[in-house]
Amino acid sequence: MKRINLTGRALSDVALTVFDQSPEAAQELAGKNAPYGLILTTETAYSDLDPELIEKADLIAIDFPAFGDGRGFSLAVRLRKDFNFTGELRATGPVIPDQAQFLLRAGFDSVDTDDARAAAFQKAAGRFTAFYQTDYTGNTSVAHTRHGPSQRERKAS
Amino acid sequence: MYAYDPYDKEIVNTRVEEFRDQVNRRLSGELTEEEFRPLRLMNGLYLQLHAYMLRVAIPYGTLSSVQMRRLALIARKYDKGYGHFTTRQNIQYNWPKLVDTPDILLDLADVEMHAIQTSGNCIRNVTTDQFSGATADEIADPRPYAELIRQWSTFHPEFSFLPRKFKIAITGAPSDRAAVKWHDIGLVVRKNDAGDIGFEVLVGGGMGRTPVIAKTIRDFIPEADLLGYLEAILRVYNEQGRRDNKYKARIKILVEALGSDTFADLVEKEWQTTRHHPIDVPEAEIKRIEAFFAPPPLEVLPEQDPAVDELAANNFLFHAFLKNNVRPHKVPGHVNVTISLKPHGGIPGDATDAQMDLVADLADTYSLGEIRVSHEQNLILPHVARRDLPELYEALSRSGLGTANVGLISDIIACPGLDYCALANARSIPIAQNLAKRFDDITRLQDIGELKVKISGCINSCGHHHAGHIGILGVDRKGEEVYQLLLGGSGAEDASKAQILGPGFDENGIVDAVETVVAVYLGERQDGEKFLETYRRIGADPFKEAVYEAH
Ligand code: SF4
Repeated sequence: MKRINLTGRALSDVALTVFDQSPEAAQELAGKNAPYGLILTTETAYSDLDPELIEKADLIAIDFPAFGDGRGFSLAVRLRKDFNFTGELRATGPVIPDQAQFLLRAGFDSVDTDDARAAAFQKAAGRFTAFYQTDYTGNTSVAHTRHGPSQRERKAS
Repeated sequence: MYAYDPYDKEIVNTRVEEFRDQVNRRLSGELTEEEFRPLRLMNGLYLQLHAYMLRVAIPYGTLSSVQMRRLALIARKYDKGYGHFTTRQNIQYNWPKLVDTPDILLDLADVEMHAIQTSGNCIRNVTTDQFSGATADEIADPRPYAELIRQWSTFHPEFSFLPRKFKIAITGAPSDRAAVKWHDIGLVVRKNDAGDIGFEVLVGGGMGRTPVIAKTIRDFIPEADLLGYLEAILRVYNEQGRRDNKYKARIKILVEALGSDTFADLVEKEWQTTRHHPIDVPEAEIKRIEAFFAPPPLEVLPEQDPAVDELAANNFLFHAFLKNNVRPHKVPGHVNVTISLKPHGGIPGDATDAQMDLVADLADTYSLGEIRVSHEQNLILPHVARRDLPELYEALSRSGLGTANVGLISDIIACPGLDYCALANARSIPIAQNLAKRFDDITRLQDIGELKVKISGCINSCGHHHAGHIGILGVDRKGEEVYQLLLGGSGAEDASKAQILGPGFDENGIVDAVETVVAVYLGERQDGEKFLETYRRIGADPFKEAVYEAH
């Protein structure tokens, strides 16, 4: 298993607690003064999440049961936009290299993948350099860049 | 027409390289077919009964003559000399080789075309009215908005792995020629009291096993908020749409389960939290795109032309062509000409490379190089001067493109069916051909009048049988191809679901049954009534009696 760094930020190595199995145990973590990480799955409804618990986490891993389970992308977007989560966001499970840029642009920082796929992941992560959507990682849609520098400054909030 | 800028070019070219890389990995054995499948499907490459099939997007059904010539070239170079225009304003090639597909994409990219998101569980090619920008009954040309949606939905990082495929249609006119109520999202351009442009938003329409007509969730979303509002719909669907059962995964099932009011509330709530994010584009961008679709400078010409009238008086077929295939344009003295791809005995929607080249040449001569593709699988030359019609008709009929049956019973929508499609239960094409043969007399066709027949080879409904005035559905009964007969559907603004009339028929029986249905209509119709109007007035019973008594 290899950990791919998509954004280049320093990656966290805190222990992870599975949220879906024990929301209470996860909740307790927020009360302590130690760094913590959470494992969410694509089944996790964002509305079940406590904003404080999320915001204070160092690391959140979203586990994909299948690469086609696109809920993981929306959950990542939710964490960034609705919960102001600024910690490391990691994708685990059978995601595929051809999804590298989608993961990155939905807000993921890192991916755990088989050794055999690591090189393809790295390659795919930098493939496209122009995008049709402003995303939650600072890429600006070409619809904005086309219209000058003042628009280019507009970043997703 | 829209023209790519360097950003658009870069994105499409990068996609070609990416796909070439994926194909190479497959050919070298690095990827198994199972791993390759989702990748090729994101790019419109299906494995069919006999070969790969490549589906190429024709965004909102608009083509230039240059693009049409390229489609012809691809048909010649990589296929068996023809292409198939589909109900989603795409073109399909039935015989490409896997190893050639990256080169095909390169040839397409060269003329600003692609196969991006023509399959897979993502937002598909946005479809619209084939007469956009050329018809008097529209509030605004919907194509700039379709282009805006095309860009926003292309490689969307959050919405590329939806529960199921997702289809958006938009119309700028109250007369709905894009079947918007049968789409996952339907958009209808509206103008509010202040004169501002916006959209009525409908969600949850769709065919398949569970036909549903879309419901309005917002009467008016301002132009500037369109993408943000669409994003909110897609987010709610991506999170809450069912993923446990492929047949329950479309947005229509979610909207039915929640109720459209609850669904609308969820969308509204999400939209309110994101509406100040730069999902929506600057006004200058809308203006930039609109400029590409500025109405062409057409001279106002006399509405009547003596040469046209004279030919119509002497040539019965031209008279029929004028009546059925020619529609008024918004500029006086001009018309929109529909070229029927439904010659009797032919394959609905198919065109040969030579026909595509000819249409491209005719477009250069008569329609400012512009061509449209309709969801009814025909081609349209917009902006034609009425006085050019005799010449144009002559050129078309010489090449087998002059069939004067648009909107009539032989202008049939048919899916590829068992002749090509791996999912099919029954053949569709031969049924269309036999029907056309049975009604092979133009006088009779015209007497019957507007009658939309739609044929699907299985319940996936690619042939839109649920929306047919007469719908035909192929099913499998213990290895036999059986055809169900449905009546009373509509894909227009008065959308309705066709209802099954009774037990199914074999291949010959279905043609007889359609003929009986038509006979009942002709006997029952009142002055000037169209088939659908008669059906709605008298109901299914008289048809049922006649069709099943005879057996
Ligand atoms: S309706 Fe069925 S048979 Fe026809 S094209 Fe669609 S999937 Fe194939």
